[in-house]
Amino acid sequence: MRMRVMSFLKQWRGAAKEAFENVSIVAKFLCLLHVTDRYIISSTHVQGPSMLPTLNLTGDVILAEHLSHRFGKIGLGDVVLVRSPRDPNRMVTKRILGLEGDRLTFSADPLVGDNSVSVVIPKGHVWIQGDNLYASTDSRHFGPIPYSLIEGKALLRVWPPEYFGSLR
Amino acid sequence: MLPTLNLTGDVILAEHLSHRFGKIGLGDVVLVRSPRDPNRMVTKRILGLEGDRLTFSADPLVGDNSVSVVIPKGHVWIQGDNLYASTDSRHFGPIPYSLIEGKALLRVWPPEYFGSLR
Repeated sequence: MRMRVMSFLKQWRGAAKEAFENVSIVAKFLCLLHVTDRYIISSTHVQGPSMLPTLNLTGDVILAEHLSHRFGKIGLGDVVLVRSPRDPNRMVTKRILGLEGDRLTFSADPLVGDNSVSVVIPKGHVWIQGDNLYASTDSRHFGPIPYSLIEGKALLRVWPPEYFGSLR
Repeated sequence: MLPTLNLTGDVILAEHLSHRFGKIGLGDVVLVRSPRDPNRMVTKRILGLEGDRLTFSADPLVGDNSVSVVIPKGHVWIQGDNLYASTDSRHFGPIPYSLIEGKALLRVWPPEYFGSLR
């Protein structure tokens, strides 16, 4: 009886070993995918009118890299993915129009009049603004945001295919 | 953060799950990324959540002039326990909730102060 149990276990040992090896390959791949997507480069679906005409209203898929902001390499004019200061669960896509120490003058409400407001961006903060001034909620409404809220920099657009390429 | 945390340095255990589920509440000691310096982490206490109206003394050493603010949506108010030696929301205003990176659980070093933070 004992001999039969032993030979049964020996049979399944080979299959178990193979299964374990395959599972560990899949697990390693998923880890690599997660690290790449989170910390190196990822694709994001962005939509909304706030970045017209740079980004389309009906939604684009862009590749964003998550390395630049960790090394402080975010500069003026970059399109960045930031975590919204009004809603911690939302990511927004805007352009950096001011760095710490800059003095900015902007029109508080472009539809109403010409009243300008002038601000100096405090240390550790940046000024984000959508390309579509008339339909964007950005730093003109909630002020400069802390640099740490930046989560990625847009590299290029991959969908729709007729708009493939860098964002200009 | 005196007297809660020691001047000469403590080692604390902090968990990074609560803030992702929105379970950060009033009175929690949290690790936040400083809004003035993106490379620095600070430890403060949450003394106000979004929508709260707070009244505080702008400069406790100088006088009694109070300032009253309403915390905007998506922001929290952080303050150090040592009012006289803390740079916090009384100076840089309410911070976005996303800057919170962890919640302090308990202190593990020095051993005579082992345990929860009170």
